[in-house]
Amino acid sequence: MTEKYRHLYVIIEHEDGKFLPVSFEMIGEARRLLDDFNLKYSSNEKVVAVILGHNIKDISKKLIEYGSDVVIFADNPELKDIRNTIYTKVICQIAQDTKSLGEIEPEYAGEVKKPRYMFFAADSIGRHLSSTVLVELESGLASDINQLVIEDIEMSHQQKTGGTKETYKKTLKMYRPDFSGFLWTTILCLDNKNPAFQRDYHPQSCSIIPGVFESLKPDSSREGKIIEFIPTIDEEDLKVKVLSRQIIKSVVDFDTPRTIVSFGRGIKENPEQNIRLVENLAKELNAEIGVTLPISKKPYSVSQALDSKYMIPDRVIGTSGHKTSAMLYVAAGVSGAMQHVWGMKDSGFVVAINPDEDAPIKNECDIFIKGRMEDVIPLLIEEIKKQIQIVEA
Amino acid sequence: MGTLNITVIIKLEPDFSEGNVSYNPDGTLNRAETKNTLGPHSGIAAHAAFFGRVMYDAKVFIVTMGPPIADLALQQAQQISDAEELHLYSDRLFAGADTLGTAEVLRVGIEKMPHKMDIVFSGHRASDGETGQTGPQTAWKLGFTFLGNVISYSVDLETRTIRAKRLISLQGSPNVVEEVEAPLPVFISIDPTYKSNYDAVSQRLAFEKYQKEAIQRAQNFKDYLKVFNAKELGVDETLVGLPGSPTIVYKVERVPKSTATRRAEVIDGTDPEQIRKVVTKMKEALSAMVIK
Repeated sequence: MTEKYRHLYVIIEHEDGKFLPVSFEMIGEARRLLDDFNLKYSSNEKVVAVILGHNIKDISKKLIEYGSDVVIFADNPELKDIRNTIYTKVICQIAQDTKSLGEIEPEYAGEVKKPRYMFFAADSIGRHLSSTVLVELESGLASDINQLVIEDIEMSHQQKTGGTKETYKKTLKMYRPDFSGFLWTTILCLDNKNPAFQRDYHPQSCSIIPGVFESLKPDSSREGKIIEFIPTIDEEDLKVKVLSRQIIKSVVDFDTPRTIVSFGRGIKENPEQNIRLVENLAKELNAEIGVTLPISKKPYSVSQALDSKYMIPDRVIGTSGHKTSAMLYVAAGVSGAMQHVWGMKDSGFVVAINPDEDAPIKNECDIFIKGRMEDVIPLLIEEIKKQIQIVEA
Repeated sequence: MGTLNITVIIKLEPDFSEGNVSYNPDGTLNRAETKNTLGPHSGIAAHAAFFGRVMYDAKVFIVTMGPPIADLALQQAQQISDAEELHLYSDRLFAGADTLGTAEVLRVGIEKMPHKMDIVFSGHRASDGETGQTGPQTAWKLGFTFLGNVISYSVDLETRTIRAKRLISLQGSPNVVEEVEAPLPVFISIDPTYKSNYDAVSQRLAFEKYQKEAIQRAQNFKDYLKVFNAKELGVDETLVGLPGSPTIVYKVERVPKSTATRRAEVIDGTDPEQIRKVVTKMKEALSAMVIK
C-alpha cells in the first residue's frame, strides 16, 4: 500500500537570491536523515527544496549541489518581498500539489497527497511562516529544534491512541532545548488514532535553529529534478505593501571584536556591582559583552541603565541568540548550559570564572578560574593593566 | 474618523525575577516553588495596546487562556493598557493544548468579542514555552494579516490602514528594519525591542489621564473580568486541548553532559600569582591569533 505522505520538504530562505546558510544546513540534515531512512525502510523518498521569489530559476540548481533531490520553485514578481500571507498560501499550494508530487515519483502519481516532513528555519521569517503554514495544513509544528531522529515508536497514549498500544511508523523525533538550557524536550507530531477523534496530522514539521546542523560540501555533479510551480496569486493575499527596507547597525557587535566577556546568573549576589565589574573587565580587553539566555529575561533588578543595556535578547550568546568565534572568550558566572555552549564553543581561547568546579563550563574552557567573580575579576583587571595594552582598531 | 478596537493576547508565565524564581539543584526550573506573573513579552504587547489607547482613543480588550489564577496576569496587563474588558478562557478541556489547540480557543474567543477587532497584539514568545507560534497561528485562524517583529506602528483612522516597522534579523546578515503598510484588521506580534514614543504635550497628557484610569480599573479588575468555559465559548471540543493538538511532549530529559571539548587547567582564583599566568596566556592567545 502506498502511503499518502512521502518526502521531506525544506523551505529555503534567501535574500534576493543569496541563500542563507541555514538553507544549506537544513538540506544537509535532511539528506543525512533521508539517506538513513531510505536504507532502513528500503524506500526512495526525496529531499525536496522549496524556494519562492523572483528571478530565482537560475539559483535553484545550487540546491541540488547541496544535497536536494528535487527543487520546486515558484517565481513571481509578487514573491520578491517575503510577505507572510502570500508566502503561506503559495507554500501550502506547493505542499498539496499532487501534480508536482506526481512528477517527483511518477510511479506514485495521484496517490501521494502531502509531504511527510517539513523543515523551516527558526528565524524572523521561518518562525512565523512555519506557524501559519501549519495552521493552513492543519498539522503540528515544533520550534527551535537542534536534533532530529526518525524512528518507529510504539506507544500507548490516553488521548492519541485511546489508551491502546499503537505503532507510529517513521516518526520524526524533534528535540528542543528548553529555556533553562538544561532540559531537552522531545516533541512528536502524531496522528490521532483514538477512534473518538481520529485525525491525520501530516506533515510532521519543525523549525530548525540556524547554525546547528552541518551543510554538505556542494557537489556540482549531483543530479536532481527542478520543477517549476506556477502559483495562484490572489489579490486578497497582497494587502501588505513593503514601503522600505533599511539596514541598521546593531548596538551589539559579536563579529568584529577579538574578545567577548559574557556573564550569567553568577552575578546574583550583587548584580549591579558585578555587572560593573564585567564592564570594567570588558573595557580593559576592548571586548563586547554577552549574556546567557536567563539574563535576557531580566532576573535581577539593577539600575535602568544596566538593565536596558545588558539584560537584552540582542546580547544573548547561544542557540537563541548569537554564535561567536572570538579569539578570547571570558565566561564569568556562566554555568555552561548546552544552549550557551553552542554559541561560544568555536572561540579560540576560553577562560571561565566560576566557584563551582562541577559546572559544565569546565568542559568547555581552557582555563577554569575557580572563584567568585567578585574576587577574581578585580585581580584580573589589575594584572591586565600591567600586561596587556589593547590598541583600539 | 472611526474608532479603534484592540485586543491583546497575554499569558501567565513563571516569574523569572530574583526572589520569585526557584531553580532545582540541577539548574532546571522548580515550577512548584516559582511564582507566576504576566509574561514579559505579554507586558510589551500590553504597552503597544496602550499606545493605541493614548494615540487613537482605542478601546482595549485583553484575553488569555489559562487556569483561574491567570486573572492575575489580566489584572497586571490591565494596569498597563487601561483595558475595559478582561476575558479569561478557562476550562479543564483546554489543558495540555499545543499552540494549534490554543490558537483555536483564542480565535473563537476573539471572534465572539462584543466588537470587531481592528488590531490584535501578541507578545513575541512566552518565556517558558518559547515557541512564538501561538500568535501567528491565531492570526491565520482569524484570517487577519499577520505582521511579526513589529517595533513601532501608527494608524490612519480615516483610511483604516496601519503602518508598521518590523525588525528582521537573519543569520549572517545585518539587521533590517522593514516598513510596511496594510489595511486593518491586522494581527501584530510585538518585537522585544518595541518602544512607545509620546512626543507631543497632548499625547503626554492623554498618557497620564489613561494611566490614572488604568490604575483605578486594575484595582477593581474583577468588575471588568469575564470568565468563559468551553461551553460558553462554543468551541468544537475536538479542536482544542489535547484532542486538538497534533503534537505531544514525548519525553523530557536532562541534556546529556557533553564530553569535554577542552581540557581545562584549574586555577585558584584568589592567588594573584596564578592570575598573572592566566593573563599571560590570554595575551598569548590574542597575539597568536593576530599573527595567524
